Amino acid sequence: MEKNDWIAGGIFIALGIGIFILTIPFPSLDKGHPGPALFPNILAALFIFFGLLLGLKAKKPSVDKPLENSTAAASIPKNIGNAFFILGIIAAFMVLESWLGFLLTSFFLLFLLMKKLGTSAWKSLTLSVLVTVFVYFLFYKILRVPLSPGFLSW
Amino acid sequence: MLFVPKVLLILAISCVYGLFVGAMPGLTATMAAALLIPFTFFMDPVPALASIVAMSAMAIFAGDIPAALVRIPGTPSSAAYTQDSFELTKQGQGEMVLGVDVVFSVIGGLIGAIILMVSAPLLAEVAMTFTTFEFFWLAALGLSATVMVSRGSQVKGALAMILGLFLSTIGVDITLGFPRFTFGSVELLNGVNFIPAMIGLFGLSEVIRNVMEPHIAYPIAKVRAGKIFYGMTALVKKYKLNITRSSLLGTFIGILPGAGADIAAWLAYAVSKRGSKEPEKYGTGSIEAIVDAGTANNACLAGAWVPAMVFGIPGDSITAIVIGVLFMKGLRPGPMIFERSPEMVYAVYFSFILANLLMIPFGYLAIKTSAQMLRVPKKILMPAILMFCMVGSFAINNSLFDVGMMLVMGIIGFFLEANGFPVAPVVLGLVLGPILEKNFMMSMIKTEWDFLPFFYRPVSAILCTLTIIIWFFPFLAAFLERAKKKNQV
Repeated sequence: MEKNDWIAGGIFIALGIGIFILTIPFPSLDKGHPGPALFPNILAALFIFFGLLLGLKAKKPSVDKPLENSTAAASIPKNIGNAFFILGIIAAFMVLESWLGFLLTSFFLLFLLMKKLGTSAWKSLTLSVLVTVFVYFLFYKILRVPLSPGFLSW
Repeated sequence: MLFVPKVLLILAISCVYGLFVGAMPGLTATMAAALLIPFTFFMDPVPALASIVAMSAMAIFAGDIPAALVRIPGTPSSAAYTQDSFELTKQGQGEMVLGVDVVFSVIGGLIGAIILMVSAPLLAEVAMTFTTFEFFWLAALGLSATVMVSRGSQVKGALAMILGLFLSTIGVDITLGFPRFTFGSVELLNGVNFIPAMIGLFGLSEVIRNVMEPHIAYPIAKVRAGKIFYGMTALVKKYKLNITRSSLLGTFIGILPGAGADIAAWLAYAVSKRGSKEPEKYGTGSIEAIVDAGTANNACLAGAWVPAMVFGIPGDSITAIVIGVLFMKGLRPGPMIFERSPEMVYAVYFSFILANLLMIPFGYLAIKTSAQMLRVPKKILMPAILMFCMVGSFAINNSLFDVGMMLVMGIIGFFLEANGFPVAPVVLGLVLGPILEKNFMMSMIKTEWDFLPFFYRPVSAILCTLTIIIWFFPFLAAFLERAKKKNQV
């Protein structure tokens, strides 16, 4: 956790410096009063201050109660592949939805994900259809969200 | 407008939804609120508010069910008394534990609702006199309180809040209409879209966390749902002082910005243990602990709506989400809502009353079906939730850009929580950032950059003093601790 705090502190300091740089071309108000850059610059200064504080605290043993969702910093979780798969599914949805259409994309991606997580093929098939139909009915029919029909016009 | 069939149906569905999400370990009430938002976006304000109120009340209670049956809290607000609940269930008193969970949650929720109904209009009268200076300090106070009560490290809480404030600066600024940090993106000119951001932070991040955890099939204790209300009248009489104390404490904690039901439950637990005649039982099966903490966490929900409705300052993550949604609908929570949109105010009041009363029959049904609910495997649930996250994000603007926003915020939320950063301050920063900046800049422009009115106006001075006290409280506490240790040596 301490090593991760060092890295996190560094990221926030870098973010603060980046904000300062990006706000240089921002215009001012009349008579040179600060304008759009004021608030981001204050936040940048705070990022750097607290980022340094976090880095300094990382040197000391932690007395703060860890959050229940925090994971051990050093070890890579066993199922990290599942997490990357989820991110891939979302990216695939963004690419395929307008081309294949919502129904096919949703069914296909749900099936893949359920199989990946360990559900049997038949269950994955059935549940993918059910969830897809339910979501389609809810969003397209009831809420009138224009889900893409795709090249098959489904 | 609340007591029409369509709205009552929405309320009932929201109750069932809240019970299901609350009862499932790994799903939180805030996640449930984030996933509900795409639907409330399409509703009128009254049913939208009613659905969120009902869902949150049910979810907070339902988290007690797996706490008692499998020793895993359904929501963080049940964590304080999970051990006591499970130990009593092991001793064959599961029915009493679940009965206490239902009945005392209802009582706490109703008392919280009454305090909301009495205090909100009174505070609104005071808030009518507020100007930009007072609203600035109120937002600053709210953000500072959020950091102080944040779970884990306060430095990390502060960084999370500042991140939320920074995200709120993305888009066109309020003074000159200058695009900030948009990098040429047209979609970002309107800023970070609040709803996909919430879905990502609370929904997607939880999905990622859940799929990384190994699947564990846990044994579920058996209870007879028909017997859960036996002996409740005697317990209510026995613990009437505890009910009063915990309801007031829970409601007060809810009023504090950023402090949610989980903090209310932990504090009530600690206070209960300190005042109990049997403190040794705490942690090994104390019904008194469950009474106090269970009452407080449901009372807290109504308390969080006091600052949200009166000042537009969210009391917890759920009301932060609600305020964001109201802004998107063009509605402004604040004192004027009591005059301009009283139907919304009454919708909140009566939704709390109705939801808490419905908790008895719905809670009974949830307990009766709990064994089946708890057996729904995550490998089926998570893909379904992910699909709701994606389509829900898309539905707001019919834009895949928002799905991308959800993805980015989900990754940020996951890494924040995995490294001990609380996510709730990010939400509050995102919601309060525009209020803070707008009121500051308007104050500066109208006084031609004179800072004095921030300090000499009476209410501003009080709020300023409170904010500064909160900033310096950690240093003061550390100094006093060191002085105490020196004296002992």
